[in-house]
Amino acid sequence: MSNIFKLKLSALGHPNPDSFNCEDEKEYRSVVLWLEDQKIRHYKIEEREGLRNIDADSWKEAYDTYQRDLVSPASEGSPNEQLNWLLSYAVRLEYADNVDKYKNAKAEQKKQAAPNIVSSNPLDNLDFSSPAFKSGVERVCTVAGIGPHLDPKMRLAALSKILKTTPHPDPPKAEVNVVQQPSDVLKLLFVQDLRNLQTKINEALVAVQTVTADPRTDTKLGRVGR
Amino acid sequence: MVVRQYNEELKYLEKINPYCWKIKMGFQPNMNVEGVFYVNNTLEKLMLDELRNACRPGMTGGFLPGVKQIANVAALPGIVGRSVGLPDVHSGYGFAIGNMAAFDMSNPKSIVSPGGVGFDINCGVRLLRTNLHEKDVQPIKEQLAQSLFDHIPVGVGSKGIIPMNARDMEEALEMGMDWSLREGYVWAEDKEHCEEYGRMLNADPSKVSLRAKKRGLPQLGTLGAGNHYAEIQVVDEIYDKYAAGKMGLERTGQVCVMIHSGSRGFGHQVATDALVQMEKAMKRDKIETNDRQLACARIHSVEGQDYLKAMAAAANFAWVNRSSMTFLTRQAFAKQFKMAPDDLDMHVIYDVSHNIAKVEEHIVDGKVKTLLVHRKGSTRAFPPHHPLIPVDYQLTGQPVLIGGTMGTCSYVLTGTHQGMTETFGSTCHGAGRALSRAKSRRNIDYMDVLSKLESMGISIRVASPKLVMEEAPESYKNVTDVVNTCHSAGISKKTVKLRPIAVIKG
Repeated sequence: MSNIFKLKLSALGHPNPDSFNCEDEKEYRSVVLWLEDQKIRHYKIEEREGLRNIDADSWKEAYDTYQRDLVSPASEGSPNEQLNWLLSYAVRLEYADNVDKYKNAKAEQKKQAAPNIVSSNPLDNLDFSSPAFKSGVERVCTVAGIGPHLDPKMRLAALSKILKTTPHPDPPKAEVNVVQQPSDVLKLLFVQDLRNLQTKINEALVAVQTVTADPRTDTKLGRVGR
Repeated sequence: MVVRQYNEELKYLEKINPYCWKIKMGFQPNMNVEGVFYVNNTLEKLMLDELRNACRPGMTGGFLPGVKQIANVAALPGIVGRSVGLPDVHSGYGFAIGNMAAFDMSNPKSIVSPGGVGFDINCGVRLLRTNLHEKDVQPIKEQLAQSLFDHIPVGVGSKGIIPMNARDMEEALEMGMDWSLREGYVWAEDKEHCEEYGRMLNADPSKVSLRAKKRGLPQLGTLGAGNHYAEIQVVDEIYDKYAAGKMGLERTGQVCVMIHSGSRGFGHQVATDALVQMEKAMKRDKIETNDRQLACARIHSVEGQDYLKAMAAAANFAWVNRSSMTFLTRQAFAKQFKMAPDDLDMHVIYDVSHNIAKVEEHIVDGKVKTLLVHRKGSTRAFPPHHPLIPVDYQLTGQPVLIGGTMGTCSYVLTGTHQGMTETFGSTCHGAGRALSRAKSRRNIDYMDVLSKLESMGISIRVASPKLVMEEAPESYKNVTDVVNTCHSAGISKKTVKLRPIAVIKG
């Protein structure tokens, strides 16, 4: 997250984007104030008093009101998400003020050797940091008897190694349905895919046969044995 | 072979459940793993009688009893898991027929043995369905049987009616069913429903002797002799409605065609050539076996690799052979019913291989291992969701086609997870011989056999009636016993029972 903050802050011309620490309550508050003072300017100057009292307990309240006034979709989220939205909003305003200046800007594209392939595989877009992913890996690994590791991706790699070299472990009784049903569904989907592939192969073979096939028989050659 | 009294021998055998016996270490020398065989009460008696006979003083010559052969296989270098005897097991060259054994590819000492594959490489069964009902076929049954007999040459020394030259042959050996597909003899869907998609990719025709190619060339598209046959069958009973439905078998009385054939003289020559090479390799690498017939070579040796490449070519030959007969069957039906095979819904349900060695991944002691799985007189039976079975059977498990004997019923089973763990995904392949060919000829009259089939309402066309008693149902174990044992032991699951109404045979 802090990397995104850094990028956006420097884009907005913040005096010290590199040293900004979003975990520090005081710095957080001053950045919010800086955004309103310099970039967003939603309130009139005198209305910014609540936000200006960085050290006061009432700041939090003022901040909540401020977000409501801006109709921020992130107002219910974590402080980092809230700040992220504010920064994006500020960038958008900055752009809108100077469309002519920015519209011709081009991101420097890295030279790519391979053509850009857009993957349609949903597995490629998995969020490896999501709690759902972590708990899923945790469950499968317990079943397969894989020891703990900080990085769930590491455990997943270990799991794939085990599944490739040894037969699949039986799930514990309580988990049978949880494991069995999805695997049955996967098998059926796989069979369907395979059938389609086989049909296409057969069609291709028949297409070739129209060119090559010439079955002949010659009854004169035949001889019944004894 | 260790010579002991029958009672002494029995101490090494232990019944671990009503359908399964264990062969303990020490039954034969140098066993690396235990043996196991699946039998019910009836089959158990046959098995033990065979052993008792072999224990009588003065019994030498001929094949060793099946139990001994299973134990000898358990003594081969690199074997993992167990040496498995399926319910139809009976003595064969080196390995018993109905024996499966898996060897660890990562062990440099592991071996490949032509005796563990058999002489008729990739002998197998293919089942075609139709949308006809028994009552559509009954009135013209004789004509239909004759028409099939005219289209598919049978018997020793028969020649096929599909024109082939040496170059076609080379291509067919390399491409397997892809060759049939390219030339237009089969449909794209046929390939999909065939083990290995009808092509072993490691086939190398340059590793096959000229002699084998010369023997094979005129034989493509012929059924052969021995236990091979083509049968018109009807669905007699459905045990698993869902699985049968997935195979397009919806109702009793529905007509099917079963083709049981292999790689003819070609495969036989490949096996014979390899045995000569392997004897040299065994001396060089100092490989010791309990039985001279268990000639083998290390998988990663030149001889081992050459055999696997030639065997793959023979497997491809067998698939092209069965594909050619599929084409001819469709033609015969189309002519009789004056309808296109498409409109008769003559799809291949599945095509299984009986005699083959394949590289597969299995779980051994909780670890995934790459194994060379020998199946001799044994059918692969992979469970639902296995990646190597066709998409249409992902939910039911691989169809397993069990051909009965002339005049008896046949079965369709499916693979199970239990089979995957117990028998490396293998199950029985047919009835399994009970009497030797010579014994059958002595004891049974061919006229009796033919009249009995007639009284059962089965049309029959044979090239050599005087050999028919070798294949009489009396010469075989009861296929129903065999299939029920597999079902009860859980190594495969009964789906459909089929009953023949017309047979053509060598």
